[in-house]
Amino acid sequence: MADIKCTHCNLTFDESVMIVEKDGDETCYFCCHGCQGVYHLLKDEGLDTFYAKLGENTLTPPKESEKEELEKYDYEGFQNRYTKLREDGLREINLVIEGIHCSACVWLNEKVLRKTDGVIEADINYTTNKAKVVWDDSALKLSKIIETIRSIGYNAFPYDPKLQEEYATKKRKDYYMRILVAVFGLMNIMWIAVAQYAGYFAGIEQKFKDILSVAEFILTTPVLFYSGWVFFRGAYYGFRNRMVNMDTLVASGALLTYLYSIYAMVTKNGEVYFESVVMIITFVLVGKYLEVLGKKQAVDTLDLLKSTIPTEVIKLQNNGEKVICAVENINIGDILEIKAGEKVVIDGKIVEGSGYFDESSLSGESIPILKKEGDLVLSGSVCSDALIRYEATKDSSSSLLASIVTLLEDSITKKPKIEQIANSISGYFSIIILLIAIVTFIGWLYFTQDVQRALIVSISVIVIACPCALGLATPMATLVGIGVAARRGILFKEATFLETMAKSTLVALDKTGTVTEGKPSVITADISKDIDPKLIYSLVSTSTHPISLGVKNYLESQFEDIQTVTIKDAKNIQGRGISGIHGNKKVYGGNEAYMQELGIAITKKPLNSLFFIADDSKLLATFELKDQLKEGAKETIANLKKLGLKIVMLTGDHDQSAQAIAQEAGITEYHAELLPQDKAAFIDGLKSKGEIVTMVGDGINDSIALSKSNIAIAMGGGADVAIGVSDVVLIDESVKKIEDAFRISRRSYRAIKENISFSIIYNIIAVPMAIMGYVYPLVAALSMSLSSLVVVGNSIRIKRLRFKEKN
Amino acid sequence: MSSSIMILMLSVSTFLGALGLVALLWGVKTGQFDDKSKFLDGARYDNEEELHDAVMMEEKQKAQKEKKKKEYRPAD
Repeated sequence: MADIKCTHCNLTFDESVMIVEKDGDETCYFCCHGCQGVYHLLKDEGLDTFYAKLGENTLTPPKESEKEELEKYDYEGFQNRYTKLREDGLREINLVIEGIHCSACVWLNEKVLRKTDGVIEADINYTTNKAKVVWDDSALKLSKIIETIRSIGYNAFPYDPKLQEEYATKKRKDYYMRILVAVFGLMNIMWIAVAQYAGYFAGIEQKFKDILSVAEFILTTPVLFYSGWVFFRGAYYGFRNRMVNMDTLVASGALLTYLYSIYAMVTKNGEVYFESVVMIITFVLVGKYLEVLGKKQAVDTLDLLKSTIPTEVIKLQNNGEKVICAVENINIGDILEIKAGEKVVIDGKIVEGSGYFDESSLSGESIPILKKEGDLVLSGSVCSDALIRYEATKDSSSSLLASIVTLLEDSITKKPKIEQIANSISGYFSIIILLIAIVTFIGWLYFTQDVQRALIVSISVIVIACPCALGLATPMATLVGIGVAARRGILFKEATFLETMAKSTLVALDKTGTVTEGKPSVITADISKDIDPKLIYSLVSTSTHPISLGVKNYLESQFEDIQTVTIKDAKNIQGRGISGIHGNKKVYGGNEAYMQELGIAITKKPLNSLFFIADDSKLLATFELKDQLKEGAKETIANLKKLGLKIVMLTGDHDQSAQAIAQEAGITEYHAELLPQDKAAFIDGLKSKGEIVTMVGDGINDSIALSKSNIAIAMGGGADVAIGVSDVVLIDESVKKIEDAFRISRRSYRAIKENISFSIIYNIIAVPMAIMGYVYPLVAALSMSLSSLVVVGNSIRIKRLRFKEKN
Repeated sequence: MSSSIMILMLSVSTFLGALGLVALLWGVKTGQFDDKSKFLDGARYDNEEELHDAVMMEEKQKAQKEKKKKEYRPAD
């Protein structure tokens, strides 16, 4: 029997399980009735060109649709929350479409939606799987739209566009357009400037010089006032908050240079500097754009998290009847039901049933926890195996998951950037230059009584103080630093993070998934000769418990090409282990408690988790499992200490296992049994003591703490939210990269300081000359370009930073 | 070279460049570059049928507008 592809979804299955159908001359194979249904639907609608577009891509087979669930989409409350009534009387909704694998899927969904009567607009974004649908409410119901999408094998759920996504996209687009104008202006001015420079050295008639100046002026004006608008706005807000920031410097420098150049152009006296106006605006704007991009990603991941939170729960009424109820309408004391595989949305106390709950997204603990009647269930955990009824002890808005999301939203929008700006050296420097310029103006006015002369001299002070060198000092160094980091798999989302990270004094590490692998692996194994490893392998393959997976991985690594044998009647015994029958022999696998129940004596008593295999009479194999340190964790921690950083480990795990890992990794300070909020509070405590905290983590449980810390580093394989809220992402999850990130940031910070000190020295020489009125055009033109080149060259030196291991 | 030729060269070339810039800005503003992969696949899937669809959507929108206009006409 050969494996064969399903005609609809392209997934391969054994021929014997396929549904075979003759369709004209062709023989079609389907893996399920869902695929068959969709295939015929597309064929009837004349949309079968979809398969040519699909090519070799595979789809998710469609699920059987649940009819009754669709009604809620037409409720008024739902419509008010998720849809927008447009001015022309049409409704607009944003949907996240599930099951999109390739651009052919996007094509199909758009096509089908557009064919539906009443749909006026349908646009799907391939990258984010988000769709915007505009429809006529009087001709079509929303539930019908959702049903249409489901009927072709995809699923759609609405998300609230009032979040920040729309705002972030708009902002990004706005910046992009401003950059386009700036780059256009820059490129054109540069070739005009070439003529002007050539004319300066080789001699040029005044009339040609005037034409060139006017052309530059025309090109500069839109760049300064349209592209540079963000700096004027930033400077204005800074002024209102009584702060001098980078925007003030850029705006005042560019504006004054512009005014001076107009003056020089009109009076035909001196040189114009339009090209420096455009250059500074363009370069700094591109730097800002990169920051906006980073922020948009954060918002995208937050939207995705929100969309995975179920919006309705099953509520039991007093007469025992089950109703589906919106999460918002649940009151404290209501009895709710949850099935295996569902996510808990509301915190509560179990009243009936018991089962395992996966709390890994909350505590970081990878092993599911058994909960019985009277135990508390937390929202965000997933019920893994049973039907459970529980009483709500909190309403939806105060439940744990909802509060985590709210906290994250707050922290993204209100991350304190002010202190960073106030601390940056360039802020102080710009105040000094502005003050000197004002003093120069007053001085010249007082001594010469000549307003015009005084004005020109004071403007030349600002021009020669070179917004270029100073403006480029930080962005150039950080851009190179970010580039070096990116090549090593370290992504800095914003340029300023390099600076903050270089200043940080303390590193807080999460245990599971950051310092350790996050999954138990076998450290010692004792397999008796009486049992075939294949049998153990087959038995543990029947369970998805992390311990079983650990044993399975171990066996795969020890025995090449290990095969499964048939296990009949495989059972999971809650909180105990697994059992099965092979041939006529019973096999058991489980923990100590399970073995005692079977009457098998256990003598071994180590600190770590144990997994035993036994038959009816005796013990056949013992595995000792432990969550192991990541490769290189110990050295990295030692090296970080050498860099002068304090190290703290935070974990939601038990004190005992935390202690063992801390000792092994060489960490002296650790805090165990912390809830997500506790971790965040701990970070706040450290910050109030004056520490600049770098937090490294990977789960939803770390996300609040990550957002509270000065610099948050997330592991690339971690939860989307954690990656979303953090400032730095380590793509390959290696701990060594933490050290690299610190070294790169410190090296870049050093380059920033060098650049700034160079500009200061340059200014100490040039500014007094300008103050005295001795600035010759030649000196000004040359020193301006040279000082910028020095800054750029010095920044490129960051690339020569050496890392220990060669690759 | 007379100064009028220089003015002509500068203004014509800058104007042509500006036309391109305006077209690009219009494209960005109307969302034609919002989805990179769709932008690229658009060329791959482009055929007569797609054109029909686009016309159909435009007609739908026009019909919708007219319908609204009728509804909102003040009763006299």
